[in-house]
Amino acid sequence: MPELEHALELLATEVAWPATPVFDLRVAPRRRRRWLALAAPAAAALAAAFAVPDSRGAILRFLHLGGVTIERVRTLPPAEERPLATTLGEPVSEADAAQLLGRPFAFPAGVHAPLYRSNGVVSALFSDGGEPVLLSELRAGSNPAVLKKIAGASTNTTALELAPTEPAIWIAGAEHVFVAPAAPPRLAGNTLIWQRGTLTYRLEGKRLTLERAKELARSSVG
Amino acid sequence: MEDSFAELVRPHLEVSFRVAYVITRDAAEAEDAVQDALVKAWRALGRFREGEPFRPWLLAIVANEARNRRRSAGRRLGLALRAAAEPVAEQPDRRALLDALSALPEEAASVLAYRFLLGLSEAETAAALGVAPGTVKSRTSRALERLRESYA
Repeated sequence: MPELEHALELLATEVAWPATPVFDLRVAPRRRRRWLALAAPAAAALAAAFAVPDSRGAILRFLHLGGVTIERVRTLPPAEERPLATTLGEPVSEADAAQLLGRPFAFPAGVHAPLYRSNGVVSALFSDGGEPVLLSELRAGSNPAVLKKIAGASTNTTALELAPTEPAIWIAGAEHVFVAPAAPPRLAGNTLIWQRGTLTYRLEGKRLTLERAKELARSSVG
Repeated sequence: MEDSFAELVRPHLEVSFRVAYVITRDAAEAEDAVQDALVKAWRALGRFREGEPFRPWLLAIVANEARNRRRSAGRRLGLALRAAAEPVAEQPDRRALLDALSALPEEAASVLAYRFLLGLSEAETAAALGVAPGTVKSRTSRALERLRESYA
């Protein structure tokens, strides 16, 4: 293949297309409200990966960002407040975590903490200003070990960009529920989710502010 | 029936959205174009000939809807393709190539985006462009020549 064609094909893997929205596949004629155009291709795996009873009947909207799905519902499913460590999983070495993620775990500047893995999700729990903060990283895309947030109708969900190619969602305000595979649902604190390259990042802290979350996220380097 | 349709189109949603984006150059317009195209495809499903490949058929509907939206919007935006941050940042040649591709005239940029960035077949590209399959080859060749000139 001539050099230019080959270069174009290589380029195909590196173009940052706008995130694919979640389309309404119930095709009875109706208009869908344009909302946040953030998405990822893992939707099909979700039904099998999670079982949250009694929430699906009142789903208002799905959002996908990398390996994380945000589901807005009228009524939150039953969940308890649990320590952030509930969903950490097993300890994992930095080398194994890097292998799992395809690159070293991206700690925020000045932060270092033990790593844990659970179904393809690598997490670190650390203290920020005396408050526990949980940072999780996972490969976006077809990884079945996706995370899910269930946000009530009154939860604030804001789309933003950390950088031109780093879409993000900030979830704050009213309580929302966090669901990870092999862990019980728990009430979640304020959360920033963003996508950078092939990885999805999730930063959660009960008293986390958007400004602080953005600082931590932008300083996260692998 | 709706479930079957959903299963049928789901594997093609991402490429449909990107095809629409290449035409509209606007993510929100592309989203609406695909959403409307899905409704039209559902209604037209009875006219789909069994045994024919589904993707070109769907892409033709998506592209047509996207073109209609762009005409209605009455604006022409440049094809704003961005590089994913890290890999290309380390390879200025590829960034330059992406810039050169984005700067091509619409007809040339579209055919190259379909063929090389989205990996569409000639038949799929023809469907998305609304031209005969034979035209794709010649258009691709001319577009590559223009890109070679601007990238050199």
